[in-house]
Amino acid sequence: MQDYLFFALKRLVQLAAVVFAGVSAAFVVAHYSPISPVETIIGRVAGQSTFSPTAIESLRQTLNELFGLNAPLHEQFINFWVRFLQGDLGPSLIAFPTPAMTLVMLALPWTVGLLTVQIIVAWLIGNILGGLAGYYQNNRFLKAFGVMAIGIQPIPYYIVAFLMVIIFGFLWPVLPISGGFAMNVRPSFTPEFILSVLRHAILPITSLILVGIGTWFLGMRALVSNIVTEDYVTYAELAGVDRDKIVYSYVMRNAMVPQLTALAMALGGIFSGTIITEQVFSYPGLGTLLIRAVNGGDSTLVLAVSSVAVIAVASAIFIIDLIHPLLDPRVKVG
Amino acid sequence: MAEQKQDVLQVRNLKAYYQMAYFGVEREVRAVDDITMSIHENEVYGIAGESSSGKTSFIKVLAAAIRPPLRVVDGEVEFNFGGQKIDPNKASKEEVDAIRWSKLSYIMQGSMSVLNPVRKIGRSFEDFAFKPMGLPRAEFNSRVAAHLERLKLSPNVLNAYPHELSGGMRQRVTIALATVCQPQFIIADEPTTALDVVVQKDVLSMIRTVQQEMRASVIFVTHDMSVHANITDRVGIIYAGRLVEEGPTRQLFAQPKHPYTAHLVASLPRIGDTRERPALEGRPPNLSDPPKGCRFHPRCPLATDRCKQENPPLVDMGEGHRVACFHTDKVKPLIELGQPKVTRMAEGAPA
Repeated sequence: MQDYLFFALKRLVQLAAVVFAGVSAAFVVAHYSPISPVETIIGRVAGQSTFSPTAIESLRQTLNELFGLNAPLHEQFINFWVRFLQGDLGPSLIAFPTPAMTLVMLALPWTVGLLTVQIIVAWLIGNILGGLAGYYQNNRFLKAFGVMAIGIQPIPYYIVAFLMVIIFGFLWPVLPISGGFAMNVRPSFTPEFILSVLRHAILPITSLILVGIGTWFLGMRALVSNIVTEDYVTYAELAGVDRDKIVYSYVMRNAMVPQLTALAMALGGIFSGTIITEQVFSYPGLGTLLIRAVNGGDSTLVLAVSSVAVIAVASAIFIIDLIHPLLDPRVKVG
Repeated sequence: MAEQKQDVLQVRNLKAYYQMAYFGVEREVRAVDDITMSIHENEVYGIAGESSSGKTSFIKVLAAAIRPPLRVVDGEVEFNFGGQKIDPNKASKEEVDAIRWSKLSYIMQGSMSVLNPVRKIGRSFEDFAFKPMGLPRAEFNSRVAAHLERLKLSPNVLNAYPHELSGGMRQRVTIALATVCQPQFIIADEPTTALDVVVQKDVLSMIRTVQQEMRASVIFVTHDMSVHANITDRVGIIYAGRLVEEGPTRQLFAQPKHPYTAHLVASLPRIGDTRERPALEGRPPNLSDPPKGCRFHPRCPLATDRCKQENPPLVDMGEGHRVACFHTDKVKPLIELGQPKVTRMAEGAPA
């Protein structure tokens, strides 16, 4: 137990280091971005009316001071971290003066919802079906599923998303294709709102799952068809151990270990897939927010979204890391 | 002697071939070709032969552990468990599962990988033995603990994972696992091959002890002739998928009647003996295209024209010594074995 706590602590330090490096990288990228937030605002203000050049210059200086851009880079960097640790990233520029963090927190639940459902459904179902397909290699349904998975799996997220929009939005318009809920419903805990949210989530989630499930299915099938030739499976079969027990406790259980590692490694990719899919469906999550921020030159908001994303993905991997030694006793902790 | 004992296993004219078809070309590998033999109760029967002679295929058929492309082409395997007769290759899966582990158990080659690496050993015991034993949980647990203790294993191994045990421990655990249900028939496939000689001796005496306590029959496969000399009551020599000689161990070692056996026995190294060993020319035949007649004739120093045409039948030379050779009278032991050298564990000093 003490070994395990030490192991968890070590991983926690690793997590902090990863978050620090990731967020710092996002800071540097946002800082050196060619789109300056100050110039974007000035352009917006000056484009609408005529100002004297001195007024514009003083506006520029005020804005620079307001955003803290006058200080040298290392001071800005330290200031950023001090405020970041307090959960304050400054005001968003496209929705000035709303704090960027508020916008992120509004968008976060939508993305987390999509991601969680996609991972649970695609990973679990993909692995279970893939495991069964690897063990019962002559089952017709599983064979057909394998052919489908091979066909769908290499298609990128956004193509599948567009296909879903075309099929269910235009050819057979039964499902809403944009937004997180209907325009005429107020966000509240009413059955009407929840139903609307669910209806709007069907297409984005389905397109994410369709792509994800194939990957897990194929990976698991390959793993299992190797494991069934292992001596301990043959031996259990020779001993007349129950078929179900062999399938779940001897075959699938052992294949789960590498699949969990694969999940940790795939999380980042799944997150990018979600951002693109959200964009296709104008889903009010982090992805849509991020792209709006990039287009509006809102460096604070870009930084806020990327920081939260880094923290979320790194924490998820951290949790998986903590589960790993519980699943595989051969993993050395400590 | 062996005659009065009841047969636990009878194999009659068993033929099992690997039948494959790749790109329209059919290939047939005759791994087990017309083997007839029987195993009595309470005996250790050794099967010897070089690699790819068909030993493992043969016992896989006995255990009904065959998968395509290996198929039983002809003949039968019949177990007799106290009057209950069963051919595991013909009976239904339920019937076979019902005898597995309770009556027929298996010690597999490669103890390193026969236990599930992510399952505690205690759970493996439960998976394998709980149903066949059919006892309430408390009684089952105490029975398992008692069995482990009898085999000089600490009951703590039940809480260990396989990777936490040494190779020798693991092999002893698999033997405990295979014998905990007191089976009447144990198939042991090279159980000591991967072990060093000290652990090997330990494991062999353990198998012998368990076998004698339970009066079980053991079929013991290994290519190591010295192991056969130590543990078996009778030995059968398989060459190229055929049983070429069979007899009581001591007699077969002292007076081999088949030229192949004579060479096998002569190859045994002995301390202090520096003479060069007579070696056989050539290599075992390709089983997908075996030579006509006696399959040993291309390598046999005694081969005549008859050997190239006719397949010698297995003839009883008396006292259960059966040989498949036309020239048994010309076969001389290539090396004389001093009687005291072949000490048997069961009779000799406790191991």
